[in-house]
Amino acid sequence: MRILVVEDNDLVADAIVRGMTMVGFAVDRAATAEAAGAALAAEHFDLAVLDIGLPGADGLSLLRRIRGSGSTLPVMILTARDTLAVKVEALDLGADDFLMKPFEQAELAARCRALIRRSNLSANGQLSLGRMRIDVTGRQLQIDNAPVDLTGREWLVLECLALHAGRVVSKERLQQAIANWDQVLTPNAVEVYVSRVRTKLGDAAVIRTVRGLGYRLDEPRA
Amino acid sequence: MSLAPDSATSIRRRLLIFLLPSLAVLMLAGVYTNYRAAMLFVQAAYDRRLADSALALATHIRITDREIHVDAAPQAQPAAGTEHADLPAPFYYSILGPGGRLLAGNPQLPTTQPGSANPTYADVRLATRELRLATYRLPTAGGTVIINVAEASDWRARPGHFILASTWLMDFIQVDVTLLLVWVAVHFGLKPLTAVRRQIEARSARELRPLEVAAVPSEVRPLVDALNLLFEMLSEAARSQRQFVADTAHQLRTPITGLLGHLELLMREPAAVPLQSRLAALHDELTRLAHSANQLLALARADPSANLTDKFESIELKSLVERVIEQHFDRSVEGGIDMGAEAQATRVNGSPRLLEDLLGNLVDNALNYTPKGGRVTVRSGFQDGRPYLEVEDDGPGIPEAERVRVRQRFYRLPGSPGRGCGLGLAIVEEISQLHRGVLTIEAGANARGTRIRVQFPPAGAPAANQPARHRETATSISS
Repeated sequence: MRILVVEDNDLVADAIVRGMTMVGFAVDRAATAEAAGAALAAEHFDLAVLDIGLPGADGLSLLRRIRGSGSTLPVMILTARDTLAVKVEALDLGADDFLMKPFEQAELAARCRALIRRSNLSANGQLSLGRMRIDVTGRQLQIDNAPVDLTGREWLVLECLALHAGRVVSKERLQQAIANWDQVLTPNAVEVYVSRVRTKLGDAAVIRTVRGLGYRLDEPRA
Repeated sequence: MSLAPDSATSIRRRLLIFLLPSLAVLMLAGVYTNYRAAMLFVQAAYDRRLADSALALATHIRITDREIHVDAAPQAQPAAGTEHADLPAPFYYSILGPGGRLLAGNPQLPTTQPGSANPTYADVRLATRELRLATYRLPTAGGTVIINVAEASDWRARPGHFILASTWLMDFIQVDVTLLLVWVAVHFGLKPLTAVRRQIEARSARELRPLEVAAVPSEVRPLVDALNLLFEMLSEAARSQRQFVADTAHQLRTPITGLLGHLELLMREPAAVPLQSRLAALHDELTRLAHSANQLLALARADPSANLTDKFESIELKSLVERVIEQHFDRSVEGGIDMGAEAQATRVNGSPRLLEDLLGNLVDNALNYTPKGGRVTVRSGFQDGRPYLEVEDDGPGIPEAERVRVRQRFYRLPGSPGRGCGLGLAIVEEISQLHRGVLTIEAGANARGTRIRVQFPPAGAPAANQPARHRETATSISS
C-alpha cells in the first residue's frame, strides 16, 4: 500500500515516513502542497496523509483540489491547530479522518489501514481485518482462508461492526440492523447475537462491550 | 411601575418629576386668574342689574310742589326682566329724600359714600347678612334723592361656585391633556434610546459586533460610539487571544510530534534494546510534556477573554458522552477499566469544543485514578430541569478536605499517579463557569471513589450569556 505524506516539518515527516515504512507501507513524502499535487497527478497512491499547516498553499486547499478533480483518494488530515472550525472544514471538504498532533505512530498506522480498508471495500466489496476476510457483497466470512458459517442475523451484526471496525457501534444501531431481518425481537436479542458472533470469531477479532453504549470490533493486538 | 433605586436615574422619571409640580402650580395659578377674571364680569353684571333696579325704583318718584313722593311703594324684588324665579333673591331698598329723610323702604339700609361714578357700590352688612349695595343719586328739583338697592351677596356666590367648578374642571382637563402630551412626547423623545436599549438587550453578551449608529440621536451618539470602541477592543483582544492559542498550539505540538515519533521509532530499533528503560522514561516525560501543552492550551481556550465572541450552540449531551467515551475507550481497555455510559438525551447551550474539553478532562482524571478492574461511568441527564454531565469512578476518591484545592491550577493530590499536571479540574472549573454550571465533587456510590458533576442552567434559560465569574455561586462543595 502506497501512501503520500505531505508534511513540511522535516522531523515530523521523517518520523512518519520511517514509522509507516516499518509497518509495511510504501511511503513518499512531499514538503509542499505544490509538490504533493504534482506527485498525486503523476503516480497512484492508496492514501494521502495531509498536514494542514503547510507553507504556501495549505493542506485544506490541496484537499479542495484533490476532491475538485473528482478523486476519491482516502485523505487523513493532520493538524497541530485544534480549532473545531478547522476540523469541521476539513471533514466538509471531504477528508476521511482527522488526527491531532501529537499522535502515536501506531494510532496513525491503524487509522490509515482502516481508511484504506474502507476504500477497498467500496472498490471491490472486500474487507480485510487482521485474519478475517469479509466479502460484503457475497456475504462470506473467512478466517485464515477457512469459511465460517453465520446465520442471517449473525452476519448483519458482524457486517455492521466490521464496517465500523475500531469505532463504537451503538446498540440501537445494531438493533435496527437486525430488526430489518425479522421484526420479532426480544430486548436482549442484540446481546445474544453479539455473543454468538464473538464465539464464532474466536481470537480472530475482539468485540468489546462499551457498557451503556454498544460494541466495538477491534483487530486483536499484535 | 417599580420603584427600584435605579428609577431615580431614569430620564423619564426625571422629566416627569420636573414637569408634574410645575404643571400643578401652573394649573392652580390658571384656576385662580380665570376665576378672578370671571368673577369680575359676574360682579359687573350683577352690579349692573342692581343699578337697573335702582333706576326702576326712580320711576316711582314723583315730584310735586317741591314735595317728593314715592307712589305705590314697590315690592322688594329685583328689577323686571332680571329676576330668577328659581333664585329667590332677598332684596332690600330704601329711598331717602334730601336730608336723609326716609321716603320708602328699609330704614336700616346704609348709604354708600358718594364717589366719582353714579351709582356707587359697596359691600355692606345688614344684621347678619352680607349685602351688595348700590346707591343711585337722583338729582331733582327738590334736591338729591338717594336710592339704595341691595341684594344678598351669598346669592351671587352661587354662580361664583359654578364658575369656580367649571374653571377647575376645564383646567384639570387641560392639565391632563398636557400630561398625556408630555408622556407621549417623552416616550417619543426617548424612542431612539429605547431602540438602543433593545439592540443591546437583544444580543447575547458574547456578541460584540458594533451597535447600529444610524438611528441613534446625537445626544447618545458619543455613548454608543464609546461602547462600539469597547466592543471592538474586546473582540480584538479575543481574536488575538485565540490566535495566540492557535499559534502556540502549532509551535508546541509540531516539534513534540517529531520528537515523539522518532523516539517511538528508536525504541523499536534492535540497537536500542539495552537503552529501553531510559528511552521509555524519555517517552513518558515527552508524553507528559505533550499532555501539559495540551492542558495549558485547553486552559487558555477556556479563558473567558478568549470566548467573548464564541457563539454558543445547542449541544446534545448524550452524543457528547458517546464521543468522549469513544475517544478514551482505548485507554480504559489498556487500564483494564470498565468504562461505560448512562446517557440520557438532553441539551445544553454551550461551546462544543469546550464541553468536549470539560468531559474529556473528567474522564481522563477518572481513568488516571481508577485502578485496574475499576469502573468508570459517564452520565448525562436532567435533574430539577437542569441538564448535567457526571463522571463517577470507584477509585481512591478525593478526601473531603481537598475538594476545593483540587480545583486550583497545578494542584495535584499528594501521591497522584499518572501523567497529570494538575490542570484537569481547573480546566473543568473554568469551562463550567463559562457555561454557568455548578461543579460538585462528591464521593461516589457507597461512599467510594469520586463523583464529579457539572450541572448546567435550565435548558432554555439564557445560559452563559455572561461568563459567570462569581465563584461563590458557580461552585458548591458537598460531602
